[in-house]
Amino acid sequence: MPTIELKNLTKTYGKNTTPAVNDVTITIADGEFMCLLGPSGCGKTTILRMIAGIEHASSGEIVLGGSVVDSVNKSHFTPPEQRQIGLVFQNYALWPHMTVERNVDFGLRIQKIPAEERHARCQDVMEKLRIAEYANRYPSQLSGGQQQRVALARMLAVNPGILLLDEPLSNLDATLRLEMRAELRRIHETFGTTIVFVSHDQWEAMTLANTIAVMNKGTLQQIGTPDEIYATPQNRFVAEFIGNPKINMIELSKATNSLDKVADHILARLPECAHADTCCIRPEEIVLSDVPHSHTLPMTIENIMPTGGSWVIELSYGSSRLFHSTQQRPYWRVQEQVNAFLPAQALHFFDQHHQRLIIDTPQDESLKRLKQPNQFGSNHTFEPNHPLTQPVNHRV
Amino acid sequence: MPLSVETPHHLKPDWWLRVRHSIAVSRHEPANVIAFILAVCFAYLILAPVISILLDAIFVHSGDAGRTHQDEGAFTLYYLTRAFMSRMSQIILWTPLYNTLAIALGTVACSLTLGVTLAWLINRTNMAGRRWFASALIVPFMLPSWTFAMAWTTIFKNRTIGGQPGWLEALGFHTPNWLAYGFFPIVVILILHYTPLVILIVGNALTRLDVQMEDCARILGAPRRTIAFSIILPLVRPALMSAALLIFADCIGEFAVPYILGLPVNYDTLSTGLYRSLDSRQNGVAAVLAAVIMIIGVITLLIDMHMMREARRFVTVGGKGNMDRQTSLGKFRVIAASIPMAFMLIAMVIPLITLFLSTIMTLPGRFTLSNFTFDYWIGHHLTTVALRNGILFTPEFWQATWNTIFIVGIASLCSGILGLLVGYAVTRCSFRGVSGFLRHITFMPYLVPGIAFAAAFLSLFAVARGPIPALYGTPILLIIALIAEKMPFASRSGIAAMTQLGKEPEEAARIAGASWFTRMRKIIVPIQAGPLATGILLPFISGIKGVSLFIILAVPSTDVLTTYSLRLLDYNYDQAANAVVFMIALIAWFGTLLIQRISGTHLAQGLES
Repeated sequence: MPTIELKNLTKTYGKNTTPAVNDVTITIADGEFMCLLGPSGCGKTTILRMIAGIEHASSGEIVLGGSVVDSVNKSHFTPPEQRQIGLVFQNYALWPHMTVERNVDFGLRIQKIPAEERHARCQDVMEKLRIAEYANRYPSQLSGGQQQRVALARMLAVNPGILLLDEPLSNLDATLRLEMRAELRRIHETFGTTIVFVSHDQWEAMTLANTIAVMNKGTLQQIGTPDEIYATPQNRFVAEFIGNPKINMIELSKATNSLDKVADHILARLPECAHADTCCIRPEEIVLSDVPHSHTLPMTIENIMPTGGSWVIELSYGSSRLFHSTQQRPYWRVQEQVNAFLPAQALHFFDQHHQRLIIDTPQDESLKRLKQPNQFGSNHTFEPNHPLTQPVNHRV
Repeated sequence: MPLSVETPHHLKPDWWLRVRHSIAVSRHEPANVIAFILAVCFAYLILAPVISILLDAIFVHSGDAGRTHQDEGAFTLYYLTRAFMSRMSQIILWTPLYNTLAIALGTVACSLTLGVTLAWLINRTNMAGRRWFASALIVPFMLPSWTFAMAWTTIFKNRTIGGQPGWLEALGFHTPNWLAYGFFPIVVILILHYTPLVILIVGNALTRLDVQMEDCARILGAPRRTIAFSIILPLVRPALMSAALLIFADCIGEFAVPYILGLPVNYDTLSTGLYRSLDSRQNGVAAVLAAVIMIIGVITLLIDMHMMREARRFVTVGGKGNMDRQTSLGKFRVIAASIPMAFMLIAMVIPLITLFLSTIMTLPGRFTLSNFTFDYWIGHHLTTVALRNGILFTPEFWQATWNTIFIVGIASLCSGILGLLVGYAVTRCSFRGVSGFLRHITFMPYLVPGIAFAAAFLSLFAVARGPIPALYGTPILLIIALIAEKMPFASRSGIAAMTQLGKEPEEAARIAGASWFTRMRKIIVPIQAGPLATGILLPFISGIKGVSLFIILAVPSTDVLTTYSLRLLDYNYDQAANAVVFMIALIAWFGTLLIQRISGTHLAQGLES
């Protein structure tokens, strides 16, 4: 099974425009399940199309399984029909004039596989994807999910070493998404295919991929496992792009004119971070309590938004706004006062170039002594008798 | 996982590497090769004739050396001077130009008025029988315009010219010249022919209007008049303009109707003047006239393009609610239906019945039983000088029918396929310049009215040039001229079809490993079968009706039905001529119905693109 190597890959459309893909270098290992994640227009689909050979590189090189398929320096280009890969288009691109079966066995016919074997393989893959019963229907007679399975079957039938998927779950409804997610996982395990897919949806990326490459404006921002990407964003873009509700961004450089009281509070508490430009904290890392403490911020609850099984609470302190999310039903009312605690370990810092700063902040003294995990599943531990951990969200 | 966030060093290959890589890429893209071949072909088939005719206007022709006092082939302003500033220019250019513009403007004004009224009645009122009229009123547009001209002469012809008299004359009424020939009948006939086009285009626009816009105005308290004039009319205006310009351009190039109704009384338009100049071997003057027609065509198109750009600013038309709201006409419901009914009678029923009756009457206008005969269809050993058998037993008729089917059939087959290929090449070609050139050049014949285009073809292919032998008198010349003439429609529909299809079905086949031929054979052509069929059949129908190309390029051995009927008319075999015309009208009508049945599309969609 082949690896995919992208070396300094750049794609420019026309002249004098900013590149759609700018000097991207990624190595996708054999058998990997990778997601190219980014907002629309970040160049992720262009990369996918270049790997497939439908687009060509403006500079750089693409190597599939050790052989160069597209290289500007070597003046080489292998057309898609010779690359032996699979690509599932976002809108499936099924051939409307062929039945499901003909769509699926098209690639096998091209390879001149004898009829019996062709039929067997076609039947096998259709059964695996549970579309065998629609074999004689036309694409227009199928639902969106069925169409997508046909598009997938069409590519899997020829058993490509590399499978590329363009927004595989985006056109599906919620139930089908879950079903298809499991399906893709299963395919990855049974066929052992290297899968690269493109998505703008972090849920899709987090739940499916082993590795995520975050992209923005044509450049690669960070590669890592879903956990790494979430827990240690390498720059401000990744921090803000990943996570729902969005991460709380606190501008520290603004603090000099004392506009942002949260920033003031952080700078006062952690003088080491004075040279950082921004600081952020995930909504679920904020801890709320009724009891004030030297390290808490007195905040007003502005809004409580239920999001089905969890709650997003909007907090204000002067002109500053923070969002907190929790799995516990909040018992406060709007306009009530609470005390918010921002644990130092949960804070991410970025410099003026928006790159991650490693700041060795002293562990919060209140936390040093805390060992046991709290009962709410948060990573932070609290002293049972400490006012902060008292009834968090559990006042009767 | 390795982090490769730092990406400072840009590997910018120099232009040579880029070019080499582009070549490596395009080697696998046959669309580029096709685009180049097509561009060269059309440069020769479309651009070269046009340039050649323009050059004809400024270089001395063989035989003109004496008149121009210059050597043959030398640069001269003689033809231009003669057409624009000589004693003759009033006859050669200015009067025909005036006549042409008068006809075109008169036709546009009247057919718009009539067409908008009818479109409103059909689409926006509860007039009796509106559904039926919606499809019936289109029929006159399917018939060749000169069918009406033949019917008109059959009824109104007077003693000014020889031959058999018209019916009214035979019944004892004297028809004045203004009624029988010239401006008035030409305009009336063109109005009858083009009003259906207005009904189609404006009717389409009316039905596509979002009813919510009207509702919104009504909620704000606008009276009905205000709604009509400040909401609906401005939104329909682009459609009105485009119908007007389409009709105007067609009228400028109209040849057959003024040929039949204008020539007998020396009422010349630019196109008949061009024909007469060619006929009297004044190719230089003919070239000047052709250039004038082309310039009018170009100006019309530029106005059209400008209008379309203006119109695009508010193409929000079309939403959920289509405008199937009707004004109730109350007790006028049935009376209103008399307007379209009268139009139907005048534009279709009377002409066709007249034509048919004229073919079964020995003497025109005498409605006695003994005067009726089917001899002109199926008779034998008639007492005429030539044409001694009925038309159905005349070998020339069948020869002409076969020629028509053969020549027009091959031409429309080719133009349909070429149109799809142009669409493919334009949407796939990686060189913007080439695809732009291809798109514009295939549209060029639209600017050049048929008669001028035929003259251009004659000027280019009448003599052997390089490896191309002289083609005059061969069916090949007619076929390639027809292909070139039909390219605007064919390429437009091809490009539209390929754009609508998008690249993905083919890309998916590439990923599956299919070669170019497999992709074409298994994916593109089967999916595009419908548009392809329309792209072949529509040119076929309009080719059968066409006159202007054939009358200049056809010789007796390549006679087609249209030229055959005109020849019969010239020799005063009126019944036989009308019989042939009647046959053409029927073929055109049923052919169009067939297309609608096959493609499932309404004619209107094809016309608007």
